[in-house]
Amino acid sequence: MKLLGTARLALNRIWATKVRSLLTMLGVVIGVAAIVALTSIVDGASQGINKSLATLGTNQLNITAMAPDALTEQDANALAELDGVSVMFVQTSNEGTIATEDKRVNARLVGVSAEYFQAVKPEIAMGAYLSNSKFAASAKDVVFGADAANDLGLTDSMLGQTVKLNGQDFRLVGVLDDQAGFGTNGRVYVTLDSARKLFSQYPYVSSIVVQAETPEAVDALQLETDRLLRERYGLGTETDARYTITNQASLIAAVSSITDTLGLLLTGIAGISLVVGGIGIMNIMLVSVRERTREIGVRRAIGAKQSNILTQFLIEAIVLSLAGGVVGLILGEIAAYFLAIIGDWVFSIQLETVLGALGFSLVVGVVFGVWPARTAAKLEPIDALRFE
Amino acid sequence: MANPVVELENVRREYLVGDQVTVALDGVDLVIERGEFVAIVGPSGSGKSTMMNLIGCLDRPSSGVVKIASDTTSELNDNQLTSLRSKAIGFVFQQFQLLPNTTAIENVMAPLLYQGVSSKQAKQAATEILNRLGLGERLNFDRNRLSGGQQQRVAIARALVASPDIVLADEPTGALDSKTGAQVIELLKELNKEGRTIILITHDLEIAASAPRRVFLRDGLIERDERGAK
Repeated sequence: MKLLGTARLALNRIWATKVRSLLTMLGVVIGVAAIVALTSIVDGASQGINKSLATLGTNQLNITAMAPDALTEQDANALAELDGVSVMFVQTSNEGTIATEDKRVNARLVGVSAEYFQAVKPEIAMGAYLSNSKFAASAKDVVFGADAANDLGLTDSMLGQTVKLNGQDFRLVGVLDDQAGFGTNGRVYVTLDSARKLFSQYPYVSSIVVQAETPEAVDALQLETDRLLRERYGLGTETDARYTITNQASLIAAVSSITDTLGLLLTGIAGISLVVGGIGIMNIMLVSVRERTREIGVRRAIGAKQSNILTQFLIEAIVLSLAGGVVGLILGEIAAYFLAIIGDWVFSIQLETVLGALGFSLVVGVVFGVWPARTAAKLEPIDALRFE
Repeated sequence: MANPVVELENVRREYLVGDQVTVALDGVDLVIERGEFVAIVGPSGSGKSTMMNLIGCLDRPSSGVVKIASDTTSELNDNQLTSLRSKAIGFVFQQFQLLPNTTAIENVMAPLLYQGVSSKQAKQAATEILNRLGLGERLNFDRNRLSGGQQQRVAIARALVASPDIVLADEPTGALDSKTGAQVIELLKELNKEGRTIILITHDLEIAASAPRRVFLRDGLIERDERGAK
């Protein structure tokens, strides 16, 4: 019999026992749906983390002072002269207090140089950045991070109003959007000049950020930065530096490797349910072979070869598993779609996910279908015909 | 002219049941010519089912030679035996044994499809033979919508469709009332007149009497081999 004919026999049987077929598929449906949904959660989460990291700039180097007097504005200016540096800004920060008329809390006060907002481009929730003109005028303006604003209970109506930083009057000009992680939400941004008056001593800075022209140039720039700073402070290559240099790209790589591992773990767990689904198919197929022993005997008597019987049962198992895979894929993607809405990340159907889900369910069908199919094919025709 | 389609030479078939050897056929010789209508008769335990399995290429002898359409079954592997069975034997079973979830015409097509005949040709052949057996109106009925007699006629159509050398009918009237049973026997006689070789396995002497040749089995041996109408 041609393969197509055998496939039709298998499909007829699946159709004739619809309810059982659906229940048999269920294990694979759940397994595949779980894998698809979990993969998308992991993808979405790492997408989110990477996006947050990227807002900090993938081509940035953070040079952080290990002591209050470790780095200076002069160091920063020297670094700005290096080849391949597109933007440079400095930050100086300290703990301080922020207060309205009726509330006072602690916050991290950060003084930033004019290039900060250009380079980082944080999302703004209301108001505006500290613009260049405000830097020039050394106006006492302040931009709040989301948490700091919340802590003080700031609202739209407070824009342009006075808040107190370490007891001095400042004008609230903007509040940043939630930056998801990285501890930047609790910060309060003022100009470097203001910071000098509030809490920090010239010429020291707590960190310098340099940005390479391209992400590819970051590694080279990191070496160059280190060399220049060591030279300025007369440090040998073996001496511990007075600063640490963090490369955003390497941070992203580290995070990716964590999310990859997490993804593997979750997929593995979901994979177990797929295996259980496969065992379910095998179980039902074995029952089915037993129930249909007479039919197998008759088919053998009217000319079916062992291979015909084997193929018929194998196709049945594969179709059940594959159909389960397709349904699971659809349910999983639907779940992923809603999870993406909840988790606020971009939903996309990955080709690998589709092929993986179908491939896995195919493999499950073959692996767990072979034994029942072989059992069926190996039945002796006379025994099968005599079977009551 | 002699043209044997079944040749049994000193055929022995033993079964091991537990650690006990049961002899089902104890050295049997039998020749059936093409075009014969033979009843193999005997009570249960006489060895007639074993003989049917051997002639039907479902089983091989423990010793001796079984030749079906000149092929020696003990020399064939499972695949070759299946091919021989599919080519040489058309089975009619007591319980009809129509395939489940399958229409009349699909049942009749099945042996041809297993032989690799195209579905179109199989359909044509099956329609033709079902029409001939008076089931033209019921091609697409499945077995639940057919009476016992109709089911047995579908089964006979299925046995005939691939033009086998032998139609092997195992108690074909056993599950039918006597009137329908008689019709089935008439049908078999008619087919025999057209030149088909019919082997009828039965325990019923009355049914056996309708065959021109009767082979009586008892305790694994041929007791009598009668010819001529009774």
